[in-house]
Amino acid sequence: MTSRPEELLPEGGMGVEVVPVSGELNVGPQHPGAGHMRILVKLNGDIIEDVDLDVGYVHRSVEKLCENRNYIHLIPLVERPAILDSIHMNLGYILAVEKILGVQAPERAQYLRSFSAEVNRIASHLYGLGILTVFLGHSTGFMWGFGDREVWVEILQALTGARVTNSYIIPGGVRRDLGGAIIEMTNKALDYTERKLKDWKSMVLNNPVIRARLENVGVMSRENAVRWGAVGPNLRGSGVYYDVRKMEPYAAYDKLDFEIPVYKEGDGFARTLVRFEEIEQSMKMIRQILKEIPEGPILTDRFLNQIPPTRRKKWLEEQRRVVFPGYYASFRPPKGEATSMVEAGRGELLYYVISDGSAHPYRVRMITPSYRLIYVFKELVKGSRYADLVSIYGSLDYFPPEADR
Amino acid sequence: MSQFSQQPPSQQPPSQQKAERIIDKLLAEIKSTFNLNVKAESERRGYVELNDPSILLKLGEFLKEKGLDHLKSITGIDYPDQKKLAIVYHLSSYENPDLASLILIVKTYVPYEAPEIDSVYSIWPSSWTFERETYEMLGITFRGHPDLRLMFLPEDFEGVFPLRKSFKVRQEGLFIDKQA
Amino acid sequence: MDVLALLEFYILYPSFFVMIIFPGLIFALIVLLYTIWFERKIAAKVQMRFGPLYASKRSGGFLQLVADAMKFVFSEIIVPEQVNSTLFALGPVLYLLVSLLPLAAIPLSTIPPTGSVLSMYFHEFYDPNVGTGIMAAVVSNYSLLIVLALEAVTPVFVLFTAWVTNNRFALLGAVREGLLSVSYDVLLIMASLSLAIEFHTLDVAKIVEAPIPGFVANPFAAFLFLVGMLIGTGRFPFDIVEAESELVAGPYTEYSGLLFVLSMGGSYIGTFAYSILFADLFLGGWQPFTGYYGMIFTVFKAILVLMFAVFMRSVYGRYRIDQALRGSWKYLFPLALLSIVIGGVVGIWIR
Repeated sequence: MTSRPEELLPEGGMGVEVVPVSGELNVGPQHPGAGHMRILVKLNGDIIEDVDLDVGYVHRSVEKLCENRNYIHLIPLVERPAILDSIHMNLGYILAVEKILGVQAPERAQYLRSFSAEVNRIASHLYGLGILTVFLGHSTGFMWGFGDREVWVEILQALTGARVTNSYIIPGGVRRDLGGAIIEMTNKALDYTERKLKDWKSMVLNNPVIRARLENVGVMSRENAVRWGAVGPNLRGSGVYYDVRKMEPYAAYDKLDFEIPVYKEGDGFARTLVRFEEIEQSMKMIRQILKEIPEGPILTDRFLNQIPPTRRKKWLEEQRRVVFPGYYASFRPPKGEATSMVEAGRGELLYYVISDGSAHPYRVRMITPSYRLIYVFKELVKGSRYADLVSIYGSLDYFPPEADR
Repeated sequence: MSQFSQQPPSQQPPSQQKAERIIDKLLAEIKSTFNLNVKAESERRGYVELNDPSILLKLGEFLKEKGLDHLKSITGIDYPDQKKLAIVYHLSSYENPDLASLILIVKTYVPYEAPEIDSVYSIWPSSWTFERETYEMLGITFRGHPDLRLMFLPEDFEGVFPLRKSFKVRQEGLFIDKQA
Repeated sequence: MDVLALLEFYILYPSFFVMIIFPGLIFALIVLLYTIWFERKIAAKVQMRFGPLYASKRSGGFLQLVADAMKFVFSEIIVPEQVNSTLFALGPVLYLLVSLLPLAAIPLSTIPPTGSVLSMYFHEFYDPNVGTGIMAAVVSNYSLLIVLALEAVTPVFVLFTAWVTNNRFALLGAVREGLLSVSYDVLLIMASLSLAIEFHTLDVAKIVEAPIPGFVANPFAAFLFLVGMLIGTGRFPFDIVEAESELVAGPYTEYSGLLFVLSMGGSYIGTFAYSILFADLFLGGWQPFTGYYGMIFTVFKAILVLMFAVFMRSVYGRYRIDQALRGSWKYLFPLALLSIVIGGVVGIWIR
C-alpha cells in the first residue's frame, strides 16, 4: 500500500467525474400528465434530450370512414375528434361541401355560424386554460376553467340542442334560429365572464407560481414557429400575424370588427395570454353579432323550397328550426374538389374534400391544428426540463383526440 | 408587451380591381420556369399539376423562395382504376401577407409499382407528420424522411394500407328490436 | 393506590400520553382525516364547488374521509414483481413512524406543581432550565436539537421508500426529495438556531416561556421556518416531490391500499409535527395557559398553522425543482443569515 493516493487514482483522486445520468421515461398512456398518448422521454439528468410521441391511442380513422358515408352523415362524424370545438370542425367541413355544391348560406345563417363559432371558441379556450393550470398543479384554475365554460356550453345547448356534439351547421345554413331567451342568456353570460376574467387575471395570470412556470419556458422563436408549421394561438404567441378569420374570411367575419392578439415572446405565457385575449375578442364579437344580426331565413332558398309547406310552417315558422329536406338524405354533389379553412379554437383547420359524383366523398382530408402540433411539440420539448414537459404540453393546448382523428 | 396589429397586413378580398391577380402572377412564373400545367380556380386557389415527380424538390425550393413557407397538408389519394396514387400538396404562406390568403395546390402522381417520392422534409420540416401518416395509410415511401415509421397505427400493422380503396370497411348492420 | 388511580397514572404518563393519545398517534389520525377534509372543503369553496358532501350531509361530508379511509384499508395491496416485499411494506410504515417521532421532544405545555391532573408528574418531568414541569415525552435541555435531528431523518425514508419500489417515477421523486432536503433543512435549522441564539437556549420550553413570542422577536425566522416547512412536507407551492402531473405520485407511485394511506399520511403528520414546533417557537405555544389547557391551546395553534399550509393548495401551483432550489439558496439563505444576525443583536436585550 502506498500513502500517496495520486499514484493509485487518476488526477490524484481529486478529479470529479460527472457521469451523465440518462434514461428513458415512459410517460403515458396511463399517466395523469399524458392525455391519450404515450410520450417516450429520453432524459439526461433533468433535461429532456429527445421525445418520441407515440400517438394514435384515440385514432378513429375519420378519413377512411368518410369514404363510406353519405355527405350528411359525416357531420356528426367529423366533429367527434374535437368535441370541445365541434362547431368549428363542423363548419370547416360544411364550407368545403358548400363549395362543391355551389350554395351559399344566407346572411343570417352566416352571422349565426360566427356566433356559435365564437361561443365555442370561448368554451374551448377556457377548457385549454383549465387543462394548462392543472398541469401546473393549480387546481383552482382547472375548476374555474371548467366551471366558467359551463355558461357558454349552456348557450350552445339552448341554441343547438346539444352541449358538445352540436351538429348545428348544415349545408346551406344552420339548423336552428336564435331566440330572445338565448340572447338574454348570452348577455348574462357576457357579463358573468367579464367579471370572472378579472378573477382569472389575479388568480392565474398574475399568480407568481404560474408565471414562473410559463415565462421563458418552451420558447418558440418566430422562425421555428414557421419552420415547424405551428398554427393558431401558438403561432400568434410567437409573433406571426396569421389568422384564417382575417386571411380568408368565412361566415360573417369580414363584417365583424375584431383584432388579433399577437405576442412576440413565444413562450408559454405568451401563448396563454393570446388565448386569454382571444376570449375577450370573442366576447366583443358576440356583442356585435347580437347587435347587428340581420333578419332573414336561416337556410338557403334552394333547400328551403324543398321542405313541404306544411312542415315548413309547423317547424320553421313556429319553432324557428329546420326540418331536413329529403334532398339531404343522399345527395350527389357534382364532380370536383374543394379546400376550406377555418380558424378553429386551436388554430387553422383545413378540409380537402374530393367528390367523384357519388353519394360518398371520394376522399376527405382533415388537417386539425393539434395534428400539426405533433411535430411542434416534439421539437419544442427538446432541451427543456422534465417538469416543463407538462407546462409546454398545456401551453400548446395539444388535444390528442383532435390530433389522432 | 401586448401589441395588436391594428391593420391586418394588406388584406385583399376584393382584389378584382387589380389588373393582375397575385395567383395569376405566381402561376405564370411557375409555368414559365418549369413548364407545368397550371390553373387558377379563383383568386384564392391555384392548381399545379406535376406529372414528373422527380422535379418535386426543385419546384419546392422555388416555391419556398417565392414565400410559400406554410405547408398546409400532404394528402395521398388512391386511384385503383388507374393504378396510381396521387399526392397533393397544399401550400400557402405565413410571412407574406399577399400569399397568405391563397392556397396553391400541387398535384403529382406515383404509380402502384413504385410508390416512392422525394420527401420535402428538407424544405418544409412540418411535412414530418404528413409524410409519416401518408406512408402508413397509403404505403407511399418518402425518400429522405428522417423517421419514416408507423405513427397512428399499431406496430404490427404491416403491409396493409387502410386508406387505399382495396381496404374495405366492414360495416355492421343496424338492427333495432321492436318492443312489443 | 387503587387500580383506577394506577391506570390513570399510566395512561396520563406524559411519555405515553403524548406519543400515543394526544397529540400523538390517535389524535394525529383524527387530525389527518380532518385536515384532508378541510383541504378539500376549502379548495372547493374557492373553486365554486361543494367538495365532499355525499357521506353525512349534515356535517358537510366529514364522514367521507372515514369512508375513504375504510375503503383504502380494505383494498388490495399490490406488490410489484421484482420487489423485496418485506422492504416494500416496511417503507411507508417507517416513514410514518419517523414523521411522528419529532413529537417526542416537542414540549406541549408546562406541568404546574399542584392543582392539575398532571401535577403528579411534576418531579419526573422537571426541567431545571425553565423551573417547572414540562409536558413532553422526553424532557431535555436540548429539545430543539433533538427535534431538528429527528425531522432531518425523514428524507432518508422517502428515499428508502422510493428505492425499494423499483419505479422510475419513484426514483425521480426521490432524487427531487434528496435535492430539496438539502435546501429546506438549512432553512429550518438556521431559522430555529437564530431563535436559539436570540433566547440563549436550545430548550424549546424556555423559548416558549420567554416574554415575547418568536414571530415578534424575529419575524424573518418565522417566515423562513414556514417556507421551509412547506418545502419539507411537500405542501403547495412546493409539491415538487409528489408532483402529480409529472411524476404520478412521486416516491409513492407503486403503493396502493393501506400502504398508500400510510405514505400519504406520513407527509401530513410531518406537517402536523412541524406545525406544533412552529406554534411553540413562534406563536408562544401554550401561553398563557398551563397544564391541560395549555396543551390543547398549543395543538389548536398548530392546527391553525396546518390549515394555512393546506390552504396553499387552492392558491398556488407548483414550482419547478430548480426554481425552488434557486429560490431557497439565492433569496432565502441570505435572509436566514440575516435572521441569525437579528437573533444575535436582539438577543442582547432578551435575558
